[in-house]
Amino acid sequence: MIDLTVLTEHWESYFIGLRNTLFASLMALAGSFALGTVIAVFRISPIKVLQACGTAYVELFRNIPLLLVVYMFFLGLPALGIALNGFVSGTLGLMVYTSAFIAEAIRAGILAVPQGQTEAARSSGLTYVQTMRYVVLPQAVKIVVPPITNQFLNLVKNSSILGVVAGLDLMYYGDLVNADTYNTVDTYMFVALFYLILTLPLAYASRLMERRFARSG
Amino acid sequence: MISFKLVNKHFGRFHVLKDINLHIDEGEVVVVVGPSGSGKSTLLRCINRLETITDGELTVGSVKVNDRTADINKLRRRIGMVFQHFNLYPHMKVIDNITLAPIKALGLPEQEAKETALYYLEKVGIPEKADVYPSQLSGGQQQRVAIARGLAMKPEIMLFDEPTSALDPEMIGEVLDVMKSLAREGMTMVVVTHEMGFAREVANRVVFMDQGRIVEEAAPADFFAQPKEERAKLFLSRVINH
Repeated sequence: MIDLTVLTEHWESYFIGLRNTLFASLMALAGSFALGTVIAVFRISPIKVLQACGTAYVELFRNIPLLLVVYMFFLGLPALGIALNGFVSGTLGLMVYTSAFIAEAIRAGILAVPQGQTEAARSSGLTYVQTMRYVVLPQAVKIVVPPITNQFLNLVKNSSILGVVAGLDLMYYGDLVNADTYNTVDTYMFVALFYLILTLPLAYASRLMERRFARSG
Repeated sequence: MISFKLVNKHFGRFHVLKDINLHIDEGEVVVVVGPSGSGKSTLLRCINRLETITDGELTVGSVKVNDRTADINKLRRRIGMVFQHFNLYPHMKVIDNITLAPIKALGLPEQEAKETALYYLEKVGIPEKADVYPSQLSGGQQQRVAIARGLAMKPEIMLFDEPTSALDPEMIGEVLDVMKSLAREGMTMVVVTHEMGFAREVANRVVFMDQGRIVEEAAPADFFAQPKEERAKLFLSRVINH
């Protein structure tokens, strides 16, 4: 039997954890999308230095474990005299880590738009920026929605890394509840349930968006 | 109107265009033919700088196409282009495909751009397709939309890069008909094509290219009846006998 008192006696802990996880996820999501877009533009820009910076960034953060990226902020920065708490360093780490994947998704989306589209637009006298704005990006967005929402789902789940650095998120509070109840199975089952409350609507919204895009030709 | 003087182009080590000299007058219809890989499309794409030349001089009107100071976007507004694979914008309706550049590049008011677009859709014979997406059209219809899109900029020159090569045989005629009427109205046209019938019927001049060179240049009647160059003879015997 599921022990509901785990939930009823600790709902405040779960609620605060859920709220903080949501908060961290939203910030990391917005940040990683903005940062990822900039990095993607760097990677496809004709300027070699920007290309190299973009590539170095992606290869670095995509290829080391998330935990180490978070440690960079949580343990690395204090060594340089910048002390951040667990919540902030966890969120920053999550943002930086995810942005590398988002950059790759956006870059792939832009490159997947056929070259002929750019040629048609440029040959009609549109500028590079107009071509991107009206012809390439609207088509790239449709290609990019599924991989990006995947990254966002991963981001929400990966936010449990905050629990490791005392980031006051859902996982952290789950650990506290567990320490109190010793009912490991039920405690973490409720934690999982709360993650689903965050991720299922996101997955559903992404399916809706894909369908809408598919319809508009 | 268009003038190539000793133009060369390299793709890395590959020498695509070799010492090209070519002058095209206003109102002329020039058809470029030749085996694949002979540099026909590249020659065409240099005119609006989709490809840059390596050396020599290329002018359109009074503009040096490869000059750093040349305003390429301004030049491109005067040159329409039609591609082998149509390259219509799949996320836009036909009407928006046609009005995009007039509105954004020429700064035309939306209403005026729409009227112009409808006029040219009428002209290419599919006025009823203004509000559909390109994917709902046949290949021939898509290519006619692409021609209307080019014409809506009211260009001085139209470039055609193998406009019928991706079409089913029964749709080639409808596209060629539009091009023929355009030619009769005095549009300056440079056409890369394998449609020898079109060349014979409407070209003022046929340019034969092989391995990056212009090998022969002649009036269509002469070119098809008695080509001077051996390579042109060989090419014609292969194309015509099929």
